[in-house]
Parts: sequence; structure tokens; C-alpha cells
Amino acid sequence: MVLLSIVAGLWIATKRIDYTWRWERIPQYFAYHSEDVKTINFDGHVTKIDKKGDLTTVTVKNDIGGETSSFVIDTKTANVSVDEYLMEGDTVGSTREWKAGPLAHGLWVTLWISAVASVIGLVIGVVTGLCRVSQNLTLRQLSITYIEIIRGTPLLVQLFIFYFFLGTVLNIGRLPSGIGALGIFAGAYVAEIIRAGIQSIPKGQMEAARSLGMNVPKAMVYIILPQAFKRTLPPLAGQFISLIKDSSLVSVIAITDLTKSGREVITSTFAVFEIWFVVAFLYLILTFTLSQVVAWVERRLAVSD
Amino acid sequence: MIKTVDLEKIFVVRDQVVRAVDGITTHITPGEVVVVIGPSGSGKSTYLRCLNGLETLTAGHVHIDGVDLANRKTDMNKVRREVGMVFQQFNLFPHKTVLENLVLAQMKVRKRSRKEAEIKGRALLEKVGIPEKEANYPSQLSGGQQQRVAIARALAMDPKVMLFDEPTSALDPEMVGEVLEVMKQLAREGMTMVVVTHEMGFAREVADRVLFMDYGKLVEEGTPEHFFTEPKEERAKLFLRQVL
Repeated sequence: MVLLSIVAGLWIATKRIDYTWRWERIPQYFAYHSEDVKTINFDGHVTKIDKKGDLTTVTVKNDIGGETSSFVIDTKTANVSVDEYLMEGDTVGSTREWKAGPLAHGLWVTLWISAVASVIGLVIGVVTGLCRVSQNLTLRQLSITYIEIIRGTPLLVQLFIFYFFLGTVLNIGRLPSGIGALGIFAGAYVAEIIRAGIQSIPKGQMEAARSLGMNVPKAMVYIILPQAFKRTLPPLAGQFISLIKDSSLVSVIAITDLTKSGREVITSTFAVFEIWFVVAFLYLILTFTLSQVVAWVERRLAVSD
Repeated sequence: MIKTVDLEKIFVVRDQVVRAVDGITTHITPGEVVVVIGPSGSGKSTYLRCLNGLETLTAGHVHIDGVDLANRKTDMNKVRREVGMVFQQFNLFPHKTVLENLVLAQMKVRKRSRKEAEIKGRALLEKVGIPEKEANYPSQLSGGQQQRVAIARALAMDPKVMLFDEPTSALDPEMVGEVLEVMKQLAREGMTMVVVTHEMGFAREVADRVLFMDYGKLVEEGTPEHFFTEPKEERAKLFLRQVL
């Protein structure tokens, strides 16, 4: 009820500002039919036309050299006949195929940037989390410094530093710097989550593992971390959902992710409202899918409770 | 087997110095069952934890089979394989099934094959009387069953000594018997055992020797007959009057 009245209110409000909704223009930015026109780059005669259902193979013989070339085209677009003389630049026919539009492409870029950054973040997070609880003072101080610096500065500023400073100094491209910045940013938060998880496991677990003769790394890998991971799954999921959303910031260093694709489509359609709604919805699909997957893993792990 | 010489463990908690174990010298021979009793806070558990290196020693020596735990070069993990430990809170691994609890350390520490480890694990579950629970998780077991699994887990490593840290203190009264029964059976089989407990009946029945500790010191030691009937020390007499 409440939701319906809010939607109705928004609808009336947009009526009053005289905005023309053009939802029908959106689908073509996901996928479109592209036409690939085949032209000939020499003078010659058509020697053979081989029709096979929807596809037709046209063979053309070069008048000067004598060699032949074949073109595969859609039967419907074939507009030549056998023995017809063709000059350089003439059209033989064309093929049509579905191509991913900018929004689909942007969604894909966002997806894989987030996935790679998540993996990097998880690895950095686990290592840093372990350093954070280590007996070694140097490792502990280093990890605290890292966490404090990353958590204490805005991701946008980190992205600029990565792209303009590190990108220039180390000569890395915009994609690696964007993914690196996201991964290192997520790593700091993951580290704190992992540390909390490790510290929440009763001391007796470590003692039991040690009393069986396991060394600290083995006890960590087989006893402590699996339990810590299970406990920290909900906050970790939240962190990775944040990461997907934060990945929209990489559009400022000209990576064509979902957000940047949306902006590009808007410049050519002026369908500002529709596109942003669609972009928001696409992010929602990604994050919702992730939270469902995590919920499933949680249920799987709950068997030992 | 186990020799402690002037063993000392001092905790410093907020500028307060606690002498948990204060100069204990004992010698435990193979096959002997030694029961450590004393009021709470007397350092019994700390003494036991020093025997497998879970606590670092402040001073003195612990020799296990001639290997000195106070020596920094000693490989603790190697020593601990030979010394099984059973805890008051069981400390089973909650994310593993009962059988996995028994198998894991055998494979990772003793480097046994899974098949070999599972055969050994099943035989031990049979021995402690719960072979039907191998696929269950610890949370699905009663306290007594969990403690028996914990004993089996320690035995799976083929230890030369078993340490018990108040194994029945966290159990409901009706489950104490089943755990003590397993321990008695172990004692009959000739296992060297050091048991910290409040079960005076067990001490009287099974122990070869009783150590009475108070304030980190070894106050009195002797056979159960001697200790329970005619203790020499005033502190031991007082303690026995209160618990018996």
C-alpha cells in the first residue's frame, strides 16, 4: 500500500514536469541487430551462388589475377546473379547478427571487475587478518597501518592515487589500477572482519589442535579459519555487496563499467530517468544474486550447528 | 616418563603476581596413574598444562621421555603428539563430524592415510562405546558422549601419556559415570595418566598416587590409602573434611 502510493505520487510528479518516458528505446542498448555489409575489393565476375537455407555463399573470380573469393551472406540480402560483373567497392550482400549493447557490456565489465577485486580483497584480507592477530609485532603494526590508511581515506581519492600516481609511476593501465584500488580497499575491511572472526573462536579450539601436535599454521587452516569463515560469512557478504556498488566509482577513471555505460547511453538518448532506473535495477540484480548465493552457502554450512 | 624439576609458572595480571605453580618436583613412571587434587585456584590445571607445553614455563624443567620442554630448541609439536590431552570443555572441532575429529590430526600430524586413520578412528569409537555416532556433529551429542569422543581423539594419536584436565567437571551428574568408566578402562590397560579431578571416588579407586596441591605448591603426595585415611598435613586434612 505504502509503496504503491509512493509510486503513484512519483508518477503524478513526473506528469507535472512534462517528461516523456521512452522505455521502448532502452532494449536496443542491451542488444541490437547489427548489419555487416560485405563489399568486394577488386573487379571481377560472380562465378557461383550456392544457396543453403538462410545463408548463401557467393564466389567471385578476380578478372586480373584469376583467384576467387567467397562471401557468406544472408540469402535475403543477396542482390547479385551468376556472371554479373562487379566493380571494386560493390556490395555482394550482408549478414545480420545480435551484438551486445553498451548496457550489457557495462554490466559484464562491472561483474568481472567486482569479481576479480573481490578475490584480491579476500586474499589480502585473510593474509592481513592473520598478520593482525599474529604474535609478531612488526606484522601486527604493518597490518594496522595498512588498515588505518585504507579505511581512513575515501575510495575515490584512492582510485585517483592509483590511477594518476601509481599508474604513471609503475606504468600500469586503468583497468589494473581500478581493480587494484578496489581490491586493496576491500582487503582492509575484510581483514578486520576476519580478525573478529578468528578472535571469536574459543581459545580451547587452538589449544585442542595444538595438544594434538598440530603447528600453528595447520591449526589455523584446518581448525580456526573454517570456523571463523562460517561465522563471518554474513559480514563478508555485506562487504562484497558494498564492493559491487563501490565499483561504480571506477567510471571516474574512464573504465566503461555499468555506470559509465549508462552515462554514455544518456548522452545519445537523453532518456535520463529511464537509464538511471535501469542501471540501478541492474546493480540490484547483481547484489541480490550475490546475497542469495551467500544465503545458500550459509544454509549448507549450518548442518554442523 | 615425566619428570618435573622445580617447575614454576608465574602469571602477571595487572601488576599482580600469581605464582600458579611454585616449585613442583615429581617423577611419574610409565603405567602410573597420578591424580592431582586440591582446592580451586591451587594451580592443578596450570601444572597439567605445563606438562604438554600449553603454558610456557617461568622456571624449572619438564622432561618427557628425556626431552626437556624448557629447552627452546625442543620441537613442541613433536612432544605434544606423544602427550594426549582431554579438556574440561571437550573442545571438539564443531565444524567436523565425530569421525573427522578423530581422523584429522592422524592424517595431518601422523601422516596416516585416510583409510588407516578411519579404521583407527572407528576402533576407538567402538572402544569408548559410541560407534553409531561417527557421522554426527559434536553439537548433536550429549556432554558425556562429547567427552568420550575427545578421549578417543586424543588416543588416536597413540600417545604415551594422557593428561585429563577436570574431564567430568562440565558434565551433568548422570554422565560422569560413563566418562570415568572409559578412563578406568584406560588405566587398567596400563596407560600412563595424569588426572586433575574433583572425583574423590575415582582417585581412591584408580590412582596409584595422589598429589595434593595448594597455592601452587605440592603439599602432600602418597598412595590413595595413605592420603585418604591418614594425611600428614593439616591443609590436606582440612580439604578432605570439606570434600568427603
